[in-house]
Amino acid sequence: MAANFWTSTQQKQLLDAEEVDVVHQVDKEMGFTLEDCKLIKMHMANYIARLAQNVKVRQRVVATAVTYMRRVYTRKSMTEYDPRLVAPTCLYLASKAEESTVQARLLVFYIKKLHSDEKYRFEIKEILEMEMKILEALNYYLVVYHPYRALSQLLQDAGMSDATQLAWGLVNDTYKMDLILIHPPHLIALACIYVASVLKDKENTTWFEELRVDMNVVKNIAMEILDFYDSHKMITEERVHLAMHKLGFKQ
Amino acid sequence: MGEVEELLTKKVADRYLKREVLGEGTYGVVFKAIDTKTGQTVAIKKIRIGKQKEGVNFTALREIKLLKELKDPNIIELIDAFPHKENLHLVFEFMETDLEAVIRDRNIVLSPADIKSFLQMTLKGLAFCHKKWVLHRDMKPNNLLIGPTGQLKLADFGLARIFGSPDRRFTHQVFARWYRAPELLFGAKQYGPGVDVWAAACIFAELLLRRPFLQGNSDIDQLGKIFAAFGTPKPTQWPDMIYLPDYVEYQYVPGQPLRTLFPMASDDTLDLLSKMFMYDPKSRISAQEALEHRYFTSGPLPTEPVSLPRPPPKKESKASDFNIQDGPTVLSPPRKSRRVMPNRDGPEGSANHVHRIDDHGNERLAGGERSEHAPMSLDFSIFGMKPPVRPTINSADRTHLKRKLDLEFQGPEEQ
Repeated sequence: MAANFWTSTQQKQLLDAEEVDVVHQVDKEMGFTLEDCKLIKMHMANYIARLAQNVKVRQRVVATAVTYMRRVYTRKSMTEYDPRLVAPTCLYLASKAEESTVQARLLVFYIKKLHSDEKYRFEIKEILEMEMKILEALNYYLVVYHPYRALSQLLQDAGMSDATQLAWGLVNDTYKMDLILIHPPHLIALACIYVASVLKDKENTTWFEELRVDMNVVKNIAMEILDFYDSHKMITEERVHLAMHKLGFKQ
Repeated sequence: MGEVEELLTKKVADRYLKREVLGEGTYGVVFKAIDTKTGQTVAIKKIRIGKQKEGVNFTALREIKLLKELKDPNIIELIDAFPHKENLHLVFEFMETDLEAVIRDRNIVLSPADIKSFLQMTLKGLAFCHKKWVLHRDMKPNNLLIGPTGQLKLADFGLARIFGSPDRRFTHQVFARWYRAPELLFGAKQYGPGVDVWAAACIFAELLLRRPFLQGNSDIDQLGKIFAAFGTPKPTQWPDMIYLPDYVEYQYVPGQPLRTLFPMASDDTLDLLSKMFMYDPKSRISAQEALEHRYFTSGPLPTEPVSLPRPPPKKESKASDFNIQDGPTVLSPPRKSRRVMPNRDGPEGSANHVHRIDDHGNERLAGGERSEHAPMSLDFSIFGMKPPVRPTINSADRTHLKRKLDLEFQGPEEQ
């Protein structure tokens, strides 16, 4: 794992759950609930991943883009920063920051291909303008560390390389939640390994105990992940649609 | 954009008073400016985005991304960034000169202790980058800036990259040719911090010789120059060499003893230099190890930065101070700069906290806490050409004045 997470600005910027679970005043006035905001962010994380598949960028770029998007909404409202524009712009910015640039016109092409809905369609110019606003909202902090690198090393160390695919998938799913804004990446990786070992009935309590980490934190993250999977079953297209509907029309 | 935000953006731009152009950077104009908030002189890089098809310039974004993470006394500080009129502005601390100017100035004598100090600061900055998994990839004397107190700082991170993902392949087209490590010249795609150490060694040699050490005029010639100095590497010296993409066999030439190349250098100097110039990047000394080399602890000890020789400051500031056309311009409508600023020093009139208003109702800046920057004070009264704009007092000023009056009745207070 990148040895420098501890001195990174990301480490200094880790937030408490209460700071992440915010509904900005303007959004409240528009009728958004915390649940709506969570649903929209999840929906947008999925949108970023789908766009990324089309423009062919690495998972890391997706993870960074989702992190940017989630950071933006800790500071900005959905009413003022339309998620349907913020999401692709975050992918655009992340692709540059992660050194695998995607051309804006390519992105616009795939947005049109994926969505017939007028509300999703934006011009190159709008993406470039939003890029600037996102940079400001992020206070120009662009380096993000992810659980992936720690994950493969830890899995190997735990003798669980056979569970790589499962654990990797779990990490991917954590980006549907705000975990990356709250916890250090290696603890998220550990929580996913913990969930994976429970699912695979693999007994490795000793291995976890020998790690010099607070297992209570790891277990709490693991619980959050499991809770998310539980509640995810209840999320219907309908509910997402209702939340998205509150965003209204493009001005 | 909300109204409040728009106001905020304007205020940020309003914070800096634009001065003369310092030069044309890789991706935009660099100009000198005064930070009215701190009285500090800064350098602002203006990056054009308005007409760009791909938004914020990729090189600029790299620099922003890395400099936000790299805060160290030997690395240039990115103080602020803000968009203004379709341009992105990066605010850096202002640096007086650079190492190239020092090396080229024939009136400057560099003592062994001075050289040691310059190299130590270079390696400290580099070791910090490497600790943070950042490769600078463009080390050369004119990217090593020197500040008002003699501090040397690494700048220009437009080519820098995060390394550490072993699978990532990099371009070998980095560095100015004379500072390029042999593995890069042989087309290596996977390389590490050793490339920066090699460049630092070239800078070390340049400090000793007072001219660039290995001045090749093509990549092939550059390797020829390297081999002529140190001898063609044998496979035992550098086993991986023959597997490099652009490897070609060079005719064997024996090297020259370092002693003949650097006749005036001490034994410690030559020992460190030879370790930094190791062919095999795997056995090349790291920046951190180099800092621990006895060269830095044996006498003479490195000169204190503040006592290092520097080229005389360029005359520009004085000249433009009194040149009406070149007078300070403000990034936002000029009228704003003429607004009366709240007088923050209160009745206790602390001498080290001056923010005065001169006879013409124009703002005058003199230092603030950073009174050492006092020479940067602005006196608008000398720009007599334009009639002074009538000062307006806004509500913030009024409350401030009120408070000031209150304070006068209460007598001086402890801050």
